[in-house]
Amino acid sequence: MRSQAMFFKARAGDKLADRQLQANLGKAKSRFVEGRAQAVVDYDAAPGADFEALRDAASAIRDRVLANLDVWLETFEDKARARGAEVLYARDGAEICRLVVDIARRHGVTKAAKSKSMLSEEAGLNEALAAAGIEPVETDLGEYILQINDNEPPSHIIAPVFHKSKEEVAELFARTHHTPKKDDIAGMAREAREVLREHFMSAEMGISGANFLIAETGSAALVTNEGNGRMVTTLPKVHVVVTGIEKLVPTLEDFSTLMRLLPRSATGQRISNYVSVLTGVKGEGDLDGPEHLYVILVDNGRASLVGTEFEPMLRCIRCGACMNHCPVYQSVGGHAYGWVYPGPMGSVLTPLYTGIENALDLPHASTLCNQCGVVCPVKIPLPELLRKLREKQVDLKLRPWRERLALRLWGWVAARPALYGFAARTAVRYLNRRAGGTDRIRALRAVPDWTAGRDLAAPEGRTFRELYAERVGHEGRTKR
Amino acid sequence: MNARDHILGRIRAALGRTERSREAARAEVKATFDARTAGPHPLFDADLAARFRREAERMSSTIDEVAALADVPAAVARYLDARALSRRGVVWPALAGLDWAGAGLAMETRAAGDMDLVGVTGCFCAIAETGTLMTCSGPRTPAATSLLPETHVAVVPMSRIVPAMEEAWALARSEIGELPRAVNFISGPSRTGDIEMTIVLGAHGPYRVHLVLVRGE
Ligand code: SF4
Repeated sequence: MRSQAMFFKARAGDKLADRQLQANLGKAKSRFVEGRAQAVVDYDAAPGADFEALRDAASAIRDRVLANLDVWLETFEDKARARGAEVLYARDGAEICRLVVDIARRHGVTKAAKSKSMLSEEAGLNEALAAAGIEPVETDLGEYILQINDNEPPSHIIAPVFHKSKEEVAELFARTHHTPKKDDIAGMAREAREVLREHFMSAEMGISGANFLIAETGSAALVTNEGNGRMVTTLPKVHVVVTGIEKLVPTLEDFSTLMRLLPRSATGQRISNYVSVLTGVKGEGDLDGPEHLYVILVDNGRASLVGTEFEPMLRCIRCGACMNHCPVYQSVGGHAYGWVYPGPMGSVLTPLYTGIENALDLPHASTLCNQCGVVCPVKIPLPELLRKLREKQVDLKLRPWRERLALRLWGWVAARPALYGFAARTAVRYLNRRAGGTDRIRALRAVPDWTAGRDLAAPEGRTFRELYAERVGHEGRTKR
Repeated sequence: MNARDHILGRIRAALGRTERSREAARAEVKATFDARTAGPHPLFDADLAARFRREAERMSSTIDEVAALADVPAAVARYLDARALSRRGVVWPALAGLDWAGAGLAMETRAAGDMDLVGVTGCFCAIAETGTLMTCSGPRTPAATSLLPETHVAVVPMSRIVPAMEEAWALARSEIGELPRAVNFISGPSRTGDIEMTIVLGAHGPYRVHLVLVRGE
């Protein structure tokens, strides 16, 4: 998927003005936020349970793997190969596409059923398959809706059609399936089930991501509610797993710990309906399962984070909690971010994976309120990473000249106390006059963009230094 | 350079990997596997069956209870009749020995297909913490039986209810050794919340999951 992240500002503006989108976002966000909060309360109510301890344990598990990622990857490879899987590596999206198309050709595949994989979005895999004459079929209901809507990109990592209303889906189904328009969600789900069932039965190849890879057993773990993940890994004769090199966890016990966090953080569920731990190919006498299993381990920017200040980002388990709780995401939705990953985690990952210079607005698309940091199940300090990216932009001289000049000027003035005091006094008087006796300033010529979306609170009256001087003066007198 | 060497090479460079530290890392991997430390998790009271029931119902499974394995076919027939569901279906080869015909059911022992309406399975064990079935694929316990039919009925011996996923892994290690091709943890019927975050039951898998708990087993 080509990144559009450089257009964040313009796209965010459009999204704010989109009434339908705003209504859809409003309906959806509270369910996620309340769902997670309730799940945490419920978890903590059991004897011996402590959600915070779980978060600590989970981030330690992820860090343990990252500290020796090369050796853990080798361990996984050995175990997976011993069970008949072929383990391959891909440096970037183009290499993923090449490998998957090669595999498909080798096995005479004409149709590939896919369960949701964000990495396949990173790579633009569907386009590559179609170009090679192989029909890709998305089977996650949300992803399917996007695919038949002219390959629209997802707006949320676990709820891809977060931004759509049921009316929009109903119209799309009627148009695409040539069926009467439905008005109930259950009916739409059944219609999609029937259409997709045929694809499951006829696809020669299943493509999935992996929520985790388990080093101890060489397994790929898949978490779904719909059951499509099970379908694509059970019925077709070839199964291809496309996943990031950072998805490893050491043991089945570690996996169990992470499974207490992932569904609760993502949807507020205690457990997802289907959790599958898949190891190797169809065994002797087995009645189902793929005859060929390929695991493609993808870098696409991940290795360059290892050992750097951004390494904590590799702990991410893609739960989506950070975006669900982000006031910016809640206002503009996922599409404004312009690439595969939206919200706070996307604002960190997009510049790191696609180039800092290609996503200048994203690290600034945050109030640094730390809602995301508080809910992240693996304790990624997202605001701190966003701040580091901002610093990097300054170091690389990527900020606009006006901003750089303004900061320089401010620095120069701030180093001269008398001048600073004078400037602050003047500014406060000016702003007070602009507020005209009220407590808000509606528009300010110096920063028109900023005041277009919000009011500036008017200063209280005098500067801090004035108030402080007065107070010290008072106290000085009373003491004497 | 091939992709593998390229990627692993970059990781090694980033970690400042030396022969010494590599040995240490390998030792750590081995120690981790030997220890298999369980993470923090809730402690459950003795009544695992009650907890299992509660959680399974929360995940929209329905539950029945019988005294012995031999009572299962009649219980399944009762359930199917009460909902006017088909009396035909597929059953795990592992359960072929039960008298299905005696209860008036036409259960075939074979791989499930797209057209089968009822699938009857057992389970490897069941997990009290989340009301979850654990199934292990194999020649006598195929994975698709619990997936393709619209109705999934599972037989759950009460002695096989364990507190949490950790105990389930321990049981698998001691009873089967290597993991089977597919371990599926199943918690109720398939569902989707993709349209307007509204949950509907019956996405790609079963619309309903019915559990028959067996006391004497
Ligand atoms: S950064 Fe944290 S909260 Fe956000 S998706 Fe990743 S794991 Fe979830």
